[in-house]
Amino acid sequence: MSPTDLLDLVLLALLLTGAIGIAMLKDLAACAIVFSAYSFVMCLVWAHRGAPDVAMTEAAVGAGITTVLFLTVISRVGRREK
Amino acid sequence: MNARRRTARILAFALLAALAGPLIHGVLQLPAPGSADAPAHANVSANYVERGAESGGAENLVTGVLLNFRALDTFGEVIVIFTAWLAAAAVAGTGSRSGRRAIPVSPVVDYVIRALGPFIAVFAFFVIVNGHVLPGGGFQGGVVLGAMLILLSLVLGPAPVAGAFSARHWAWLRATGVLVFAATAVIGLVLTGHLFGLPSEPGLRKSLMIVLELGIGVGGGAVLAGLFFAISGTDRA
Amino acid sequence: MNVLATALGHVDYLVAVALFLIGAWILVTSGNLVKKVIGLNVMETSVFAFIVTTGMIDGGAPPLVVEGMEGPYASPLPHALVLTGIVVAVSITSLALVLILRVKSQFGTIELDEIVPTDEVRGAEDSDAIGGNDD
Repeated sequence: MSPTDLLDLVLLALLLTGAIGIAMLKDLAACAIVFSAYSFVMCLVWAHRGAPDVAMTEAAVGAGITTVLFLTVISRVGRREK
Repeated sequence: MNARRRTARILAFALLAALAGPLIHGVLQLPAPGSADAPAHANVSANYVERGAESGGAENLVTGVLLNFRALDTFGEVIVIFTAWLAAAAVAGTGSRSGRRAIPVSPVVDYVIRALGPFIAVFAFFVIVNGHVLPGGGFQGGVVLGAMLILLSLVLGPAPVAGAFSARHWAWLRATGVLVFAATAVIGLVLTGHLFGLPSEPGLRKSLMIVLELGIGVGGGAVLAGLFFAISGTDRA
Repeated sequence: MNVLATALGHVDYLVAVALFLIGAWILVTSGNLVKKVIGLNVMETSVFAFIVTTGMIDGGAPPLVVEGMEGPYASPLPHALVLTGIVVAVSITSLALVLILRVKSQFGTIELDEIVPTDEVRGAEDSDAIGGNDD
């Protein structure tokens, strides 16, 4: 197994951890932050798979804009999930 | 309520487990990722890779596909995000406005964002106008531009950013992508006889593509900023 | 053994499926509207990951044609599709979030369980405010 394969596996494991974390967390603000990290790992995966255009967009949109939008809304609706 | 929620969870789990079977079975039938005989490398895609750089007019094949081979899809997509802003602004406009000020940020963050802002803008324009040779293009640069506008409105408060243009000018900026794309479609019809056709003369084609990318980028960035303003309840724009 | 080797070869696809299912789980089981939208985003991203993965090629370069470079290029078509998909996804998300803010100002909550009982009451109030001819 080459080092790049290993990197891929580590990134995939991080993705799964992030998604499960989002499912289990009750704090919406924490969910938004974990989603941001998840998006950034996804961006690394795509850069690794030869898609720099997509990775660039995901870094700006997923890790940046979407997270800001979520946090803005959460600051107005409350951060506790029942 | 608790019992109902537990039943719902069990049902959802059963449903997703039933969905997992076919999905896993399906992806295992596909050629392994990275193999050259995957469907994504056959037919039209192979053609793009082989001849895309000459016939698409861009060394970045993704840009060639977006602006040339799949221009109609991209046009639809530009319309979708513009419509999304229209809908968001309409829904947000009817709600109650909270005239809330920006949350005070640490002076370090404030200073760094103010100092970085112009560089991010330059980077966004670099990405947009070099979209045909380097990774990047209208959407990629547009989202960077939008992210910069949102970042600035987080630090300075939305009012100075939203107030940079009047509501009318913002609306025109957001429509830039749609308008420039529609204009290019008509220009293509006149010059080449096909809607969205790009002229084969390299210099003219390249400049037309850059104009198109600038339109998509500026429009996309303005739309994303507009979506943020709609969500954060900023009064103007 | 053979199945295991196939599964390991397809691990990228399998992770995309797992992420899709986790996203669907969040979407279906969570009662909170914002959490649902986050789940929807996880689902969307997993689909994008799947599409990008179909376009990758072993030892392939990004689809940027450089003079004198022969090597296989990753397929540009999935990348272009995903690119438009990401921008549409953020539009969907923000529209959903604006609607959630509207729900919050209308019902005072974004928990599905709490919205449903007050539905009729609020609806009646609304039609009263407009004029209430439709009764």
